[in-house]
Amino acid sequence: MELKIIDHATCTFCGCVCDDIQLHSDGQRIHKAEKACVLGKAWFLNHSAEKHYPDALIDGEPAKLADAISLAAELLHAADMPLVYGMSNTTCEAQKQCVAMADHLGGLLDSHTSL
Amino acid sequence: MYWGGNPAECHPRHFTKYALMPKSKFLPNGRKDRTVVLVDIRETKSVKAADLFLQVRPGKDFELLTILRALLKGHDVGDREIAQTGLDRAVLEDLLSRMKASKFGAIFFGMGLSMTRGKHMNSAALLTLAAELNSFTKFVAMPMRGHGNVTGADVIMRWQTGYPFGISFNRGYPRYNPGEFSTVDVLVRGDTDCAFIIGADPGATMPRPAIEHLARIPTIVLDPHVTHTSRIAKVHITTAPAGIAAPGTAYRMDEIPLPLSPAIDSPYPTDEQVIKQIRAHLEQKPNWLPDSQQTLASQV
Ligand code: SF4
Repeated sequence: MELKIIDHATCTFCGCVCDDIQLHSDGQRIHKAEKACVLGKAWFLNHSAEKHYPDALIDGEPAKLADAISLAAELLHAADMPLVYGMSNTTCEAQKQCVAMADHLGGLLDSHTSL
Repeated sequence: MYWGGNPAECHPRHFTKYALMPKSKFLPNGRKDRTVVLVDIRETKSVKAADLFLQVRPGKDFELLTILRALLKGHDVGDREIAQTGLDRAVLEDLLSRMKASKFGAIFFGMGLSMTRGKHMNSAALLTLAAELNSFTKFVAMPMRGHGNVTGADVIMRWQTGYPFGISFNRGYPRYNPGEFSTVDVLVRGDTDCAFIIGADPGATMPRPAIEHLARIPTIVLDPHVTHTSRIAKVHITTAPAGIAAPGTAYRMDEIPLPLSPAIDSPYPTDEQVIKQIRAHLEQKPNWLPDSQQTLASQV
C-alpha cells in the first residue's frame, strides 16, 4: 500500500477553510492531518474509503443508485413546489448544479444561511 | 472584535492563522499590535484570548449595539438604558475610544448574535455600527460561518441568480424574499411538496413542525452519511464527502475560493455527478413552463 502525502490540503470542517494541511493517506484512510486543529483532525481521520452505507436507500431499504436517481427525478418533476436546500457541506461545482436544477424545476432554492 | 461567537472552540485556528497572531508589514509584532475584544453573554474559552471582555445580558445585543451607535454619534444615553445591557458607561466609553483609535478594526459576529432575540435586526445593527465607524477609521464586519462551504453557497447563488439565499423560481425568474422563501418558513407553513436536501441535516437542526413536514412529503437526501434527515426521507443517495474524497472548490468565510485536494478514493459518486444525472433525467421530461427559455440553466 502506497502512502501518499498531500501538501496544502484544504479542511472544510469549519468556515476557516484552512488550506495548509498536510495529509498522509493510503488511498483508503487518512492517517495523519498535520497542522489541522482538533476539529479538523477528527473530520479527516473519521472518513475512510470503506462502504459503510448502501449506495442508496428508498423508503429506508437499500436500493440501486440508478433507481434512486430516476425516482428522485420523478418526484422532483411531479412536485408543484419543489425545494432545493442545504449546500453547506458540498463543493461549489455541486452548488452550481443545484441552482440550475432549482431553476429548471421552477422551485425554491435556499441554504443554511437563512436559518 | 468578536461578538456572540466562541472561536476558541468552534473555529480553533481563527485566532492563530488569521485574526490575532499573524505578523504582517503593518503589524510586525503580531498579537501585541492588536487589541482583542470579546462580546458574549457568558465566559467562554475564547475569553482567555481577549484583552477586553464585555458580558452583555442575554437578549440585549440589539440594545447594546444601538447604544454604541448613539454614543458614537455623541447623543445622550441614559444610565438606565446602559444598565439594561449589563454593562456600565465607563466600559462602553473605553471600548468606543479604542475602536475609534484603531487603525483597522474588524468585527466578527457569530450565531450568538444572529440566532438569538432580534436575529436579522441584530446583524443589521452590527453592520450599521461597523459602517458608521468608518467616519473615524477603517472598520469591517464579517459573519463567522459555520459549516464548511456555506459561504460558497452564498457566492454561487449570488453569481447565478443575483440573490444569496431564500430564492423562488416559481415565476420562471429568480425572486428573493427571506421569510417567505426561506426553508424553515416554507416547511413550517407546509408550502413545499417535495424537498431535495444536500450537504445539510435539517432533521437534526430544524424546529419540530418543519421536520414533520419533511417526513410527510417525499424528501430526497444526498449525503456522505445516513443522517437524521435520511431516516425520514423517501430517497437517500450516499455521495463522496467533499474535500476528503470529492474534488472541487470551497469558499473561505472571507470569500476566498480554495481548491480541495481529495485524499481518499470513495466508492460513492460525488454530489456533482449525482445531480448532473438527475438533471439529465429531468431534461427528458416535459418542462413545467411550455416553451420557456431557461433563465440560467442554459448557461451552465
Ligand atoms: S483545521 Fe480547524 S480551523 Fe481550520 S478549517 Fe479545519 S476545523 Fe476549521
